[in-house]
Formats: sequence, structure tokens, C-alpha cells
Amino acid sequence: MIRKLWSELVKGLTLENPLMVLMIGLCSALAVSTRAENTIFMGLAATFVLVSSNFIISLIKKVTPNEIRIPIFIVVIASFVTIVDLVLRAYFPVVYSRLGVWIPLIVVNCIILGRAEAFASKRGVLESIADGLGMGLGYIWILFTMGFVRELLGTGKIVFFDRTILSFGPSFEPPVIFILFPGAFLTFGLLMAFVNFVNRRIKK
Amino acid sequence: MSAFRHYFLLFVGAFIVQNIVFIRFIGLCPFFGVSTQVETSIGMSLAVTFVMTLASAASWIVWNYALVPLGVGEFLYIPVFILVIASLVQFVEMFIRKVSPPLYKAMGIYLPLITTNCAVLATATEVSKPGFLKLNMPYGYSFIEGVVYSVSVAMGFGLAIVIMAAIRDRMKVSPVPEWLKGYPIVFIVAALASLAFMGFAGLFGM
Repeated sequence: MIRKLWSELVKGLTLENPLMVLMIGLCSALAVSTRAENTIFMGLAATFVLVSSNFIISLIKKVTPNEIRIPIFIVVIASFVTIVDLVLRAYFPVVYSRLGVWIPLIVVNCIILGRAEAFASKRGVLESIADGLGMGLGYIWILFTMGFVRELLGTGKIVFFDRTILSFGPSFEPPVIFILFPGAFLTFGLLMAFVNFVNRRIKK
Repeated sequence: MSAFRHYFLLFVGAFIVQNIVFIRFIGLCPFFGVSTQVETSIGMSLAVTFVMTLASAASWIVWNYALVPLGVGEFLYIPVFILVIASLVQFVEMFIRKVSPPLYKAMGIYLPLITTNCAVLATATEVSKPGFLKLNMPYGYSFIEGVVYSVSVAMGFGLAIVIMAAIRDRMKVSPVPEWLKGYPIVFIVAALASLAFMGFAGLFGM
């Protein structure tokens, strides 16, 4: 049982990573990864919604009529997104203003509806929670890697809560392109190429 | 004349200067998923234009005549707008199937996908809820402005997806390095396209 849950958790991190392999939930990943700090908040918000909606949807799967399941899933997801939206706005206004539209848009993040439809509506409660957690962590680690690379190259330093934790020093002239729009596509494409490269080596 | 100028600037701003795909990163999943052939991407962009315009108009009406008078907009807007979009997509699907079977055949498969296209929800919310996006105006849109704006955004989406599909068509015969094959090279092409679109920043003083 434990081993089964563990495998559901791990697959989100590697072989079924939502961003790298399933290619879903890209918009928010590219848009918020300008700073490493932002990605942590965005990742946690999405993971919270993912785990809670997977939990509720797997609980109500027996009483959900098949024809109207999508609207029901969306209402469940939208309620949790509203919770995150209001909590962030109340307690972390600075972060909220930086993440902006991406918090309400978690509702239409394909990862969440996709997992609800493909996994939570068919499987048990514990498995669904493990799946949600794994997918969420898989989302976070890619997001954080991107945020880290883009902030470090684009600004020359990493700032966490107003404290510089890593810096190239003043003589480094940062290529600003990495925190601009093309940098997001470029970093993601190269990261993906790297993951493909490693996967191919492992398979050989 | 100044009214024309106003709408023209609104159009250009949403169409290319703030292009929804390349500059604002909204609607990327269908952008990468569907842009494999020019033909399908044209079908997709027509379906998106259709739904986005209707959805923005419907959400504008719901926001201004139901949510604001009742005073529940701040915490109910997400579920209400997404339900408006989901039911609208269902309705449009049934309507088109009944009225024009060829059109249904052409864009039928794309319609259900549009419910989870974040571009539709983002534009509908942006048009209805004042101050939702700082990039644009802090005040709300009038109904006509909202419709013009959402048509322009949808056309920007169409432009991006058709450009991408055409490039990917050509790329099928070009020698791509082994480790970049598949999606990585598509992202790098998107980076170059986005770089090109950044050149529009500051057009007409915007």
C-alpha cells in the first residue's frame, strides 16, 4: 500500500512530470518564473488547490453524475482557488500583486482539471492525495529551477525576501533577456532539451 | 475621428503590442498543442474568437447587472465567470451542431477544449472586472470597448498560432539537432517570435 502511494507520488516528479512530459500548465510556469521567490508561492498555491480538489473529487466520485462531471469539478476547483485568492490577498499583498492574474487563472490550469478527470474521478482518496501532491511537487521543482536560472542570469543575483543570497558580483553584466518574455521560452526549451537528453542517456 | 482613434489603438494594443501569447503568456497550452498544422490552427483561432467574444460580452453583463448590484463580485467572480464560459461553450456547441453541421465538423473538436483555455477566462475577467490587470487601464471597459478588445485579443491569439503552425510546417523538413527534436525546438522558435513581438513595444506611444 505504502509502495503504491509512493509510486503515485514519484511519477509526478519524473516520468509524468506535468510540465516537462505532459506539457500542461505551461502558461503560469512561464509567466511567474521571473523570480525564484515568486515560483515558491505560485507552486504552493497550485499544489494546495491540486491536493484539495483531488481529495474532494475522489470523495464525491460515487455521487457525481457522469454527464455533468466537468461543471462539478470546475466548481470544486473554483472554490479552492477563491480561498487561495482571498488568503493571499489578505496576508501576502506584495506577493499577490506580483503574481497578479495567475492566481485566479489556477482555475483553468490544465494540470488541475486534467488530474481531476484522469485520476481523482476514478481512484481512491489516499491515492488521489498522493497523486496531487506528486504533481504539485513536480510543478514546483520545474518552476523553481526556471525561476532560479532566469533570475540568476537575468539580474545577476538571487533575492529572497529582500535578502541577497547569491550574487555574481558587480562586474557581471546580466543579460536582461532572461527575465523578459523571450527568456521564458528559451529557458524552458533548453531545460526540456536537457531533460530529454538525460532521459535518453538513462534509457540507453 | 477621436473615437475611431481610440478603438484603433485598443485594437492594435491587444492585437500585437500586448500579444496574448508572445507577450502575456496566456493560452499557451492550445498554442503549443494545436499549432501543428496551419489548417487546424485556423479552425482553432476561429473557435476561440467566437467563444471569447461571446464570453466577454456575457461576463460583462453578469458582472455589471448581477454581481455588482448584489455586492458579491469580489469573492464570487471566479466560479461565476468560469460557469458562464463552460455553459456558453456547451450552448454554442449545441447551437452550431443544429444550425450548421459543416461548421460544427470544422470546429467541433476544439470547442470543448476552449473551456479550459485560460485566454478566455483572462479576457472575460479583464473586460468585466475593473483593475484586474495592471497592464491595461485601471478603469473598467464599456460594453463596446470590451467587445472590440476581446475580438482583438482573440485575433492576436489567431495570429500567433498561425505563425507558429507555418513555422512548424517548414521545420518538419529541416535538420534539427537530435536533442532539440520535438518540443524544445518549438520553444526556442517561440522565443525568437516573442523577441520579434517585443519590437512592437512603444508603437504609437503605447
